[in-house]
Amino acid sequence: MSDVAVKNVDSACETAEEFTRVFYKQVDNSRHLTSKLYWDTGLLVWNGNGISGNDKIQKFLMDLPASNHTLKSLDAQPISDVWVANKWTYLIQACGDVTYQNEETKKPFQQTFLIVAVDGKWKIASDGFRLQVPYGN
Amino acid sequence: MPKRGGGRNRNWKADTDHFEHDDRVNSVPRHVSFKPGAKGKNKFRTWKNPLALLDDDIDMGSSALQGPVRKSSFRGRGRMYSPAPQGSHGHTKKKFIPGVLPWYQIIIPYGAKHEKDVILRALLGFLSPDIFIPHYYKVNGNAAVFYVDDVKTAEKLYNADRKITMSDGFKLIVIVRNAVPNMAIDAAMKEKMKLTMAKRYNATTKALDLTKFHADPDLEDIFCALFRPMIMLAAIDIIAENIPDIEALNLNDNKLHGLQHLKVLSSKLKNLKILYMGDNRIPFLGSLDPIRSLPLVELYLKGNPLVNRFHDHEIYISDVRKKFPKLTRLDGADLPPAIGFDVAEDMGLPPRQQSFLVDPAGQDLVREFLTQYYAIYDSESRQPLLEAYHENATMSMAANYLTNDSRNSTTTRLNSYISNSRNLTRITERESRRRYLRTGKLQVVSFLSDLPKTTHDLMGFAVDLLVFTPAMIVLTMNGVFKETNTPNNPMRSFHRTFVIVSNANGGFSIINDMLYITNTTKEQEDKAFSTGTVEPIPPTPAPTPTPTPTLAAGTPDDSQKMQLLNMLGQQTGMNEHWSINCLQETGWDLQRAMFIFNQLHSEGKIPPEAFVK
Repeated sequence: MSDVAVKNVDSACETAEEFTRVFYKQVDNSRHLTSKLYWDTGLLVWNGNGISGNDKIQKFLMDLPASNHTLKSLDAQPISDVWVANKWTYLIQACGDVTYQNEETKKPFQQTFLIVAVDGKWKIASDGFRLQVPYGN
Repeated sequence: MPKRGGGRNRNWKADTDHFEHDDRVNSVPRHVSFKPGAKGKNKFRTWKNPLALLDDDIDMGSSALQGPVRKSSFRGRGRMYSPAPQGSHGHTKKKFIPGVLPWYQIIIPYGAKHEKDVILRALLGFLSPDIFIPHYYKVNGNAAVFYVDDVKTAEKLYNADRKITMSDGFKLIVIVRNAVPNMAIDAAMKEKMKLTMAKRYNATTKALDLTKFHADPDLEDIFCALFRPMIMLAAIDIIAENIPDIEALNLNDNKLHGLQHLKVLSSKLKNLKILYMGDNRIPFLGSLDPIRSLPLVELYLKGNPLVNRFHDHEIYISDVRKKFPKLTRLDGADLPPAIGFDVAEDMGLPPRQQSFLVDPAGQDLVREFLTQYYAIYDSESRQPLLEAYHENATMSMAANYLTNDSRNSTTTRLNSYISNSRNLTRITERESRRRYLRTGKLQVVSFLSDLPKTTHDLMGFAVDLLVFTPAMIVLTMNGVFKETNTPNNPMRSFHRTFVIVSNANGGFSIINDMLYITNTTKEQEDKAFSTGTVEPIPPTPAPTPTPTPTLAAGTPDDSQKMQLLNMLGQQTGMNEHWSINCLQETGWDLQRAMFIFNQLHSEGKIPPEAFVK
């Protein structure tokens, strides 16, 4: 890998750490502000339910029960700029446990983010959230 | 000195041999003398000051007496030994004071001289037309002792003192004290309770009726009162052990008072939805707090003091509902639907979907791609995956254990993954982070080849197509696989993301691959591999096999071409002419054709006539 590419790997990891710290804090404590982290045309796929657009994502998030996320595992990779129109794009996989209001048990979850640098801010282009449950028919 | 007269209710030691002689010819009302028995204190007391014995009931079962009442009695009397002022009152002036608990011990001194039914008939005759049920009748020394569980009966018996002349010419002395039968819970008693409960259980409705449990004919020789916490807890244990899926429990008429110990209900009887607790002695609505976490839909509280505290029935309903928000029936009446607020409290999670496609046109491609990828991944050799990765592909894997997983066996250990895990919360050195990122397809496939051999449950995959543009596809999946070469074939749960780009050959290559591996939950294991593996993911209404493999493209024959033509036509709505053109230009690669179509269509470059059939 080139020096630039190596630095990009480092940056992806550090951005992922900062991003997940901010993201879960917002979702758990200031849900009403969370949609600011999404791109205007961002996509959230929550357990297979797709919601696109900043406003709709905000409404969807507000309808979820209060939550408490614990991050246990994090991984990140840069996506080569050749494929994403010269935009900085990172792929982040965050895994951990989530507790919802009125439920006592911690549920394991896995979440993949595609974040893009837009005007000096990191924005979520795609967010795929899944609880670790059986999905077969 | 007590004007309250509870004194006579209390001065009896039922469990010692008190009666020395029968000297009732004496004119002194109290002809008894206590032997200095087990309790040394007694030696200071004689029949001349019977009231001095008031403080001598300490050894009664600790739960037998109501603490507060007893204390205040003591305070009133002091430990006086002079009987003079008291004696002048005589027993007839004392009033019967009900206790907090409706259990009374009835002591008939010298009762041993008569047969049980002679005494009971005498008392019943006196109380006639009222009747009562004596519990746990037994002879103790030369006294007969039994219990009644009703305050009115106790008062009437209290008033029967020295009113009944027996056949031997003596008047029957009746002493009433507020006391609860004491009963140790042993295995034999539990067995008896279990049998009695079994006959009161309705398996069809999953309902257990414990109404007036202590009065069950099968339990009449033991004191099995559910208001005593130890007995109630024993009963709950029996229920949890034998009928854990119970949905309805009737505890009507059991003299329940405090409910603190019923806290265990919500954890032990998870399906309990209907609870009857009518005709008990629950004093306050707040007394129900220990059972608040039960998701009750029906509750019965009539006949408890707490209900009478409400002057307004509407307020009563609304306050009960605050504690049990899911209630639809209260005291036998349907509740009107509650008008609530749209707050987080009532929110549930949206139902989950097995797959999401940001663009339905991506469906076949996703299905094809995953089927082929995992066919190779699950085979003996993963080397052919070299074809699936881009020259500059990057791949990383993280692994972690489930939280609070009590299983710790060799099969649940994730050593073969953890040792290569790039979990950034643990791998903090830049150098290590770079090293754990496999770069270039040779490194990637070599890494994948070293992971345990697997079989994936394709039917159980949850697949989300997050990005589907001509330039890039982002695909995430969740699912379960089995390790095929590991002893006991342990199951693992995984989450994986592929970033896929189109390559120079008109096919597709993975440019980013991120894998997360953890243990399966119990629920996952129960469901995994249960749907067979005939149909690849994701399920579609009309899955037609597509004969163009992405990874190993060949030239299709004419019948295959017809099939591809039909599929493209179905998917895009284009007519045959345009479909043929599109497929020819893409070398009869359906995925590629779909891609081009989507790209051109989104740019508005496909003319309307392409859709005219």
